[in-house]
Amino acid sequence: MMVRGEMAGAGLAVVLGAGYLWGALAMPEMSIGDPLGPRAFPLLLGALMTLLGGSLLVWPAQKDSGSMGISLHTGALALLLGLYGYGIPRLGYPAATFLFMVLAPRLLGERSYLLGLLLPAGISTGVFLLFTRILDMPLPLGILEKLLG
Amino acid sequence: MEAGTLGHLFYGFQIALSPINLLYAFLGCLVGTLIGVLPGIGPAGGMALLIPLTYGKEPASAIILLAGIYYGAMYGGSTTSILLNVPGEAASVVTTLDGYQMARKGLAGPALSIAALGSFIAGSIGVVLLMLVGPPLARAALKFGPAEMFALMIFGLSTVTSLSGKSLRKALVSVLLGLMLATVGTDLPTGLIRFTFGIPKLMEGFDVVVVAIGLFAVSEILSCVEEMRQGSYSTAPLGRIWLSLKDFLQSLGAILRGTFTGFFIGVLPGAAHVTASFLSYTLEKRFSKHPDSFGQGEIRGVAAPESANNSAACGALIPLLTLGLPASAVTAVLYGALLMVGVRPSPFLFQKHPDVAWGLIGSMYIGNLMLLILNLPLIGLWVRILKTPARWLFPIVLAVSFVGVYSVNNAPLDLLLATILGVLGYFMRKLDYPLAPVILGLVLGDLLEQALRQTLMISGGSLLPLIQSPMCLVLFAMAGVVMVAPKLIYARGVKLETET
Repeated sequence: MMVRGEMAGAGLAVVLGAGYLWGALAMPEMSIGDPLGPRAFPLLLGALMTLLGGSLLVWPAQKDSGSMGISLHTGALALLLGLYGYGIPRLGYPAATFLFMVLAPRLLGERSYLLGLLLPAGISTGVFLLFTRILDMPLPLGILEKLLG
Repeated sequence: MEAGTLGHLFYGFQIALSPINLLYAFLGCLVGTLIGVLPGIGPAGGMALLIPLTYGKEPASAIILLAGIYYGAMYGGSTTSILLNVPGEAASVVTTLDGYQMARKGLAGPALSIAALGSFIAGSIGVVLLMLVGPPLARAALKFGPAEMFALMIFGLSTVTSLSGKSLRKALVSVLLGLMLATVGTDLPTGLIRFTFGIPKLMEGFDVVVVAIGLFAVSEILSCVEEMRQGSYSTAPLGRIWLSLKDFLQSLGAILRGTFTGFFIGVLPGAAHVTASFLSYTLEKRFSKHPDSFGQGEIRGVAAPESANNSAACGALIPLLTLGLPASAVTAVLYGALLMVGVRPSPFLFQKHPDVAWGLIGSMYIGNLMLLILNLPLIGLWVRILKTPARWLFPIVLAVSFVGVYSVNNAPLDLLLATILGVLGYFMRKLDYPLAPVILGLVLGDLLEQALRQTLMISGGSLLPLIQSPMCLVLFAMAGVVMVAPKLIYARGVKLETET
């Protein structure tokens, strides 16, 4: 459902500010030798965010508001990215990147099956070797670790 | 310049120009540029990763290699900011504002060229300033207490007015979001855990790299995908590769102003690179005759912050070289590297280890020139990245960015956070909430809070130090000028908040 963007944005700012303020109020007062303590700054930020969000709700910044809608492809890519992030520590960087590089270009319009398999294989291997061998950065090998012994 | 200083400088050049040190400087610049280009690793992380390369080397050679990585990474960070709207590190966030717009208009080449030239000029002037005013400036920086630091952070936050886009109130919401994110984690003075929702990983707080990649890289790609489906996305034209003389002359003032702003901010502890680049951008926009052109692909909007963050890199070395104090994450890595090669940084570094101190200074002149020679021919190659079909370019950028995110803490949760922040950034773009202020708030938030609390702890709860210190008053006045001046100077038509 399309929601009026300006109102939704301002409403989210109010909810965020109020929730944060509530979280700050729930903190214990620990101000021995520290006149402000850990609560004061968050209280100020929460109050300011709530007020600013409220002002945007009452007096919108723009009349021609956008929408909070998200297209199917954009949503699918975001979901795929989330799964990619979930998969990296489990499948390992090369395997997760290969799968991501097969699926994401397909989602974005790549039609060639050959290219759609060869390039992901090359890219996932190349990026993995660049970071692990040349830059000496640890990346999980995952399932390949078992396969390669 | 004293004759003694000149003699020492020649000695430094002798060391830096030895074939082996020239090779190390070149390798450092090359690897540093590569690290800078790859999103997420950053200068401090890159140097820390590559410290093992210094094992067994002469102290001067080791430090020349690491310094090359440092300024190579500082320069390289601008490349992806300009081409892909993906900041290589936090100091490059502000470069995305105009650099990416230039690339969209087919001016990626001139944008990269001015970043390279600005970095070269700023780096070269920065080294001269380091030699001439380093020691007195370092002593002055020591007098910078929590009250002055708080005032500096307020000055830094005042730059939000230049990042406001269509609405100042929306920019303030963005900066408040950044400040809120900065409070997540362990409160160091009390040990209290704040806003972590029971997730242990969040006790360390949000890393700026994770937030920057999520908000900028992921959200940019999600927005482009939407444009692709709507048929409104077009590949950026290659346009011209080289910078015209007119472009250069137009940017020269911005480069020089950015250089001096960056250098003096760089000496101070804290997030100097980030503050320097945001401040120089703001000053350039605020005092421009055409502030509306900023954010639309204004070349001075690239020249100023790029110059500032490179001269800030020189300024940041001053406390380390003259006092033996690391004042930033990068100089802390250099400090550690010096200890590993048997050199203890102290106020007597120039006397006890002149080969290291003067060799480093000599190598910085040469390194800056090397960076320019190395990077100018690469511009044509970088620009061609834009011709890669979007269906392949976007997934590759995401795959490389996720390595940067993962490398910060080797934490899978960071990958999820980057995705969530990417979706948040996507909606913020749609609703015209600017993204750069979030990074500004996140970087300055912790410093701001700690500086205020330390001030009040020292004064027993009194706010008087904030108005008794002349430096505080100057910084507050400058913040006021940055926020109010445009209204006074350009009252004839330019509005700060163009709400419709």
